[in-house]
Amino acid sequence: MTVKLQIVAGIILILGLLWIVNMIRKRKLELKYALAWMVVIILMLLVDIFPPILSLISFLFGIATPVNTLFILGFIFALALLFILTVTVSRLSDRVRQLSQAVALNEKNIEELQLKELKNKKEADGNTL
Amino acid sequence: MKSLVIIPAFNEEKSIEKTVADLQENAPEFDYIIINDCSTDNTLSLCREKGMPVLNLHVNLGIGGAVQTGYLYAQKMGYDITVQFDGDGQHDAKYLSAMQAYLQDTGADMVIGSRFIEKEGFQSSGIRRLGIRYFTALIACLTKKTITDPTSGMRMVNRKVIQLFASDYPKDYPEPECIAALLKKNYTIKEYPVVMRERAEGTSSISPLKSVYYMIKVTLAILMEQIRE
Repeated sequence: MTVKLQIVAGIILILGLLWIVNMIRKRKLELKYALAWMVVIILMLLVDIFPPILSLISFLFGIATPVNTLFILGFIFALALLFILTVTVSRLSDRVRQLSQAVALNEKNIEELQLKELKNKKEADGNTL
Repeated sequence: MKSLVIIPAFNEEKSIEKTVADLQENAPEFDYIIINDCSTDNTLSLCREKGMPVLNLHVNLGIGGAVQTGYLYAQKMGYDITVQFDGDGQHDAKYLSAMQAYLQDTGADMVIGSRFIEKEGFQSSGIRRLGIRYFTALIACLTKKTITDPTSGMRMVNRKVIQLFASDYPKDYPEPECIAALLKKNYTIKEYPVVMRERAEGTSSISPLKSVYYMIKVTLAILMEQIRE
């Protein structure tokens, strides 16, 4: 990795991190879900500042060129984040289903109560006439 | 002066009745509401059966969402003071009226029931105490205010804070985070010495495995509060 690339990558990563922090600050992003992104960015920053980490990982896994290690790691991170998102979406869709069902049941309950009240009122009116 | 006890409950069938009995005996001037956070045991049917007032959540929201439901209810019903109270038997209702008097006398916005002022009763395990002390130090470092028991779930607030919490309350692990948020907004927080019991039933929602995540997440959340406008 050339120094130029290191500096450019570092700037992009720091800008990304600042963007995420600003989104959390403005409550547009929830800290819980942003945490995975922040961890990935910090790990990438570490690799950017200390390139020997990349060479070491390449050596350990028998990858010929360090830049390929970077691609593989990036791919794995992206896949992991996508998977976390899929899990979250599944959970959310399940919750929306449960909520809709609860609302439907409640609506029916209210409707029945209103009908009963109307009937009682009619009976009361009938009695006074 | 209308006061409400908010009792978040997740699978508390074994202790909820005792908690309510304690409240009725030792704090009869307080209304109470149980928030059933989609329990998988008989908490809901038990509450309905015994005629205990309950708000039933159809989706599990976690402690933050459950407690906020209580604040929304308090806001809607026009309560002046609310207090969070655990359903697992850790908290003692006999302190509530003294806490209320203290809140009104000092004009504080929040009064926290603290285990660590007089250091009596159940003091939590050593490792947990270390974590609590860390949050005390972190909050003191950032806000110059000392909160001896920042993770205590026994906290009483006035109307101003009810309004705030009803619109904005952290979702998970809310206790230390909302202290930081209140202090940042220049609200006054006081502590009142209480004795807590070891929980009668159930386990803490924070397992050892989760505690590392808890420390990191809450630390970041507290830091984030400092740069929010």
